[in-house]
Amino acid sequence: MTELSDVYITGTGAFLPGAPIPVARMEDHLGLIGGRASLLGRRALRWNGVETRHYALDDQGRATHSNAGMCALAVRAALDDAGLGPEDLTYLAAATTQGDYLVPGHAANVHGELGAGPLEIASFQSVCGSSLMAAKAAWLSVRAGEHAVAVAGASEFSSRWFRPSFYEGTALVDEKGRLRAEADYLRFTLSDGAGAVVMEPRPRPEGLSLRVKFIDLVSLADRFDPCMWAGASVERRTDPLATWSFAGPAEAHAQGAVALLQDFELLKRVIRAWVGVYLGKVDDGRIVPGEIDHLLCHYSARSLREEIVSLLEATAGMVPEAKWFSNLASVGNIGSASIWVMLEEFMRSGRLKPGEQVLCVVPESGRAFVGFMLLEALG
Amino acid sequence: MNDVSDVMRRLAVVFTEFEGRLEQTPLIRRLTRGRFVLDDYQAFLSGLRQQVKDGALWMSRAASNIDEEHLELRSILMRHAVTEHRDFRLLEADYVASGGELAAIQGAEKNIGSEALSAWMFHEASKPNPFGLLGAMWIIEGLGSIKAAEWGALARKTLDLPEHAVRFLLYHGENDAEHIKEFEEMLGLVLPDAETAERIVKTARVTARLYALQIEEITA
Repeated sequence: MTELSDVYITGTGAFLPGAPIPVARMEDHLGLIGGRASLLGRRALRWNGVETRHYALDDQGRATHSNAGMCALAVRAALDDAGLGPEDLTYLAAATTQGDYLVPGHAANVHGELGAGPLEIASFQSVCGSSLMAAKAAWLSVRAGEHAVAVAGASEFSSRWFRPSFYEGTALVDEKGRLRAEADYLRFTLSDGAGAVVMEPRPRPEGLSLRVKFIDLVSLADRFDPCMWAGASVERRTDPLATWSFAGPAEAHAQGAVALLQDFELLKRVIRAWVGVYLGKVDDGRIVPGEIDHLLCHYSARSLREEIVSLLEATAGMVPEAKWFSNLASVGNIGSASIWVMLEEFMRSGRLKPGEQVLCVVPESGRAFVGFMLLEALG
Repeated sequence: MNDVSDVMRRLAVVFTEFEGRLEQTPLIRRLTRGRFVLDDYQAFLSGLRQQVKDGALWMSRAASNIDEEHLELRSILMRHAVTEHRDFRLLEADYVASGGELAAIQGAEKNIGSEALSAWMFHEASKPNPFGLLGAMWIIEGLGSIKAAEWGALARKTLDLPEHAVRFLLYHGENDAEHIKEFEEMLGLVLPDAETAERIVKTARVTARLYALQIEEITA
């Protein structure tokens, strides 16, 4: 048997479409539901702490990029950062929540936008955590000696689902014209962009590389119902036979089953479950908080983070806040792309030194999933 | 692995596993999926009452078995017992306010899980210096501070119940942050000690399993 190879992240790339859109302009940019401002919106913005974000829609609601196109740009940037080009790539793992097409898979469309000749590809569809699902596949492919240059990319084009016409005239808007909170919150939370990392079996010749020590992925879908979903109405979301069981797509739309939705009550329970998984890893010695030099954590809301912090402090599981790095406030919550966009900015920040350990944490509320990636800097 | 924060961490993991198990019980599934009916709610209160009634009793017994070296912990348990020993009356009042007969809840038998849970708690409380029971308190009081209000709000919304029919679930728990702080202080009275640390975590795990069995066995 061939020995497993160490694997290094040798390049990171990000793509953010258009100019940063400040809080004051974001709702107008997406368009008002029924011509009126959201009541929940301001509260959602306070919770999530996002100050500026990017949209791949212009102010007339026209797409400026496709989801796959943004991913391809981030992949090119990551390859370029590694000193490579698309012609060097042999494996492409691509992640997203909702791709440009319902069929075929996202990676095929990213490859279509990228060019680069025949490739092995893999598509990963989930929510934020799909990023690390793709990363694990890329990591193992290189580790097993199947590929020498692999990319894990992730991208989101959430905003096109947030246009008023996706909600107006559906069961999600009440007789007074108010959008249900399950839908409204996400309009103020998610935005667009892409990120990617290059993985190789050796460090880059110059500059810092990140050795991937492990990628651990844990699903708790055995105990929780869908928490963030599309394809079922709010009322019938937990009945597996009710998903897409409508008399056609127009009926599904009318019943509010097409929009992206979030259950807040369930989210609170799912957050505690994430913390439980993390603390279990601390107990097992898999994660040693005192040895983490930098923590990159993807959370959709700053307030949720505070809730978690108090429990982590009591259980010696906390990595001190000074070691947290986040660019959520300036780039927005980009779902699966967030962790790579965060890592890309972190690598440029000059904070990282050889020998230091970086822990990436990606919780996904979709159906209670959480992923951890531990990296060690060399160079 | 035996100081306060290590034990807190292990207990936090036990609690989240417990929550996951509760989520999968038929009764809580119906509650979280909006399929809860009044009979479910009344069966829930009826099922809880028998164990809530015993809570102050095993706590008193545990207090009586704590030696002179640990008087502060004995005081805390006695105060807890006093605070809680009438809680089952609130549960009965909720039951009646939701349309149930007082005699029905008072005369209800313990279910299989409640029998096992109660027997376990009294057994542990009868031992000298039963510090393992701090693990049981973490589970049971964690339910009060974290789960009860969530369940109460869901039940009230689903069944359109008046507030005075959901008081036990909505109001009897203290807030989460306070719960954690008080519990840390209690652990500090008996830790660090390797054997005690193991016993606390083990007792939490057994209590969580038996409590979940109690909920599994509640059928309307």
